[in-house]
Amino acid sequence: KIFHLGACRVSMSTAEIRAGFTAIKANIQSRDPIRTLSILSHPQSLHKVKSSDRCCVAHHLFTFYVDKVFKHCRTEDSFVNRKISSIANSFLSVRRKLGQCHEQNNCVCGEESTEKFKQILANYEGLNVTSAAMKSLGELDILLDWMEKSQ
Amino acid sequence: GAEAFLPAPQNISILSTNMKHFLTWSPVIVQGATVRYSVEFQGEYEREHANESWIPISECSLTTATVCNLTEDISASVPYRLRVRARLGATSSPWGTLTGFFNRVTTSLTPPVLKVVADGHHLLVELADMGPSFQFRVLYWKKGQASRVKHKVLREVSSVVHLDTMEAGAEYCVRAQAHVEAINRSSSFSPTQCVRARGDTSLW
Amino acid sequence: SGELYCSLPNPRNVRFESVNMKNVLHWSAPEGTGDGVLYKVKYSVYGVGKWIRKPECRNINRTWCDLSSETSDYEEQYYASVKAFLNGMCSDWMETTRFNPLTDTKIDPPMVSVSSTDKSLSITLTAPEKWKRSPEEESISLLQVYPGLQYNVSVLNKKTKKRWFFSISNNTLVVPWLEPGTAYCVSAQIHVTTPLLDSDFSKEHCIATLKDK
Repeated sequence: KIFHLGACRVSMSTAEIRAGFTAIKANIQSRDPIRTLSILSHPQSLHKVKSSDRCCVAHHLFTFYVDKVFKHCRTEDSFVNRKISSIANSFLSVRRKLGQCHEQNNCVCGEESTEKFKQILANYEGLNVTSAAMKSLGELDILLDWMEKSQ
Repeated sequence: GAEAFLPAPQNISILSTNMKHFLTWSPVIVQGATVRYSVEFQGEYEREHANESWIPISECSLTTATVCNLTEDISASVPYRLRVRARLGATSSPWGTLTGFFNRVTTSLTPPVLKVVADGHHLLVELADMGPSFQFRVLYWKKGQASRVKHKVLREVSSVVHLDTMEAGAEYCVRAQAHVEAINRSSSFSPTQCVRARGDTSLW
Repeated sequence: SGELYCSLPNPRNVRFESVNMKNVLHWSAPEGTGDGVLYKVKYSVYGVGKWIRKPECRNINRTWCDLSSETSDYEEQYYASVKAFLNGMCSDWMETTRFNPLTDTKIDPPMVSVSSTDKSLSITLTAPEKWKRSPEEESISLLQVYPGLQYNVSVLNKKTKKRWFFSISNNTLVVPWLEPGTAYCVSAQIHVTTPLLDSDFSKEHCIATLKDK
């Protein structure tokens, strides 16, 4: 599938990430009791990101998940841990492709997208790390729904 | 005694065909005893971002088999490390680790099993299912007009798929290759098969 | 002070049932309670700080509540909750899991219309529309919601019992060179690759090709 993220054209498949997440969605979201806060969708929605900023926001988000989220999501459930591992390793592949856009300077970070990403980090830092990581993992479909609009 | 020292499994290797990946090893022989094995994997993420942690595969924990299906766990196109150890009672052997890394992009892809059918003026194909990762690129042309090849990408191959309609009495040829989008690779083509459309133009 | 004593058994199996993004909250009555149980419903947008009561579903005795209007923005996700009342007693609020209209809806099969000549069938498929508040509201086809939407079409020759499959992205299909005076049955399914959503196959539309002139 070709994703058009601003000036970036990235050939990748999110189907496996989507399948991995669907397999553990109920388990992960049930570990997040906080209904009133979201990492990705409030107060500012990903869906309001300008198309020119999509590549930069996507690259930031995939880096955010790799660097900050997955490592704090270990559970007592072996099946869940294995699915998290496959999602995390898939994220590495996707981030590498997004990174290629960065190198080709097609991945411009506007002020608005930088501000939005700061808001996401602020949402994340506002919770203790395990709750924040588990909540972020439970919001993976928000990220995928947004990404897949660019196909 | 025998339980004091248990050698690590040897001859550890990967068999990977059509996106199905299996780890195999030689059995550790202890006379009169049943040796069991446990397998773990480590993706690039675990190496780079999770303190080089290893993840056990529950289906291959304390198994007596000397093969483990890794397909569900090797579901990213990054280098993985794999290891297996033997267990006898309370004694565990050292880990035997696969030499080097395994990346699923190296899986061997076989051409699809293709059956071409002419039904009156209709060119139809049946393709054997190869799993969720696969789609099929089907090429077809009127015999003698190899320069005017048409192609279709088929994802769902539940049964007989309609390719095209054929000119009366003409012979059409078809071949197909499997494609895996996740690793962006294709198999070689299946042998070409040709069929002839019904001859009369009055159809029946 | 008329403080309710919340020891009534809880409503069970509280969940959204969604078809073409018509999102209806359903639940089962609390165990062991006969008639006379009343319910009230609230919902919340995930990530937003407040629960909102649904007035039309206050003190109702049925076990469903249509929240399509409240959950029509499929870029948001939602929770809903139900509380039961009986003889001055009440239950706890019982919540759904997080509901994502985009991935958690079921898609109806496409509408199929078929016409024939003596030698061909012309098939036109129409994807279902997203639920809308009123007939006057602008229609949104699910094709707009799921850009990667495709159709799988099955054509059965009733005489030979041979069934062919077609996989198409646009919504029209012409099958030429057929047998005159023969009955064919057509049915179709919607296939969305990601998120992975498949409708059932539509019921079969059977039509005969005209007799040879």
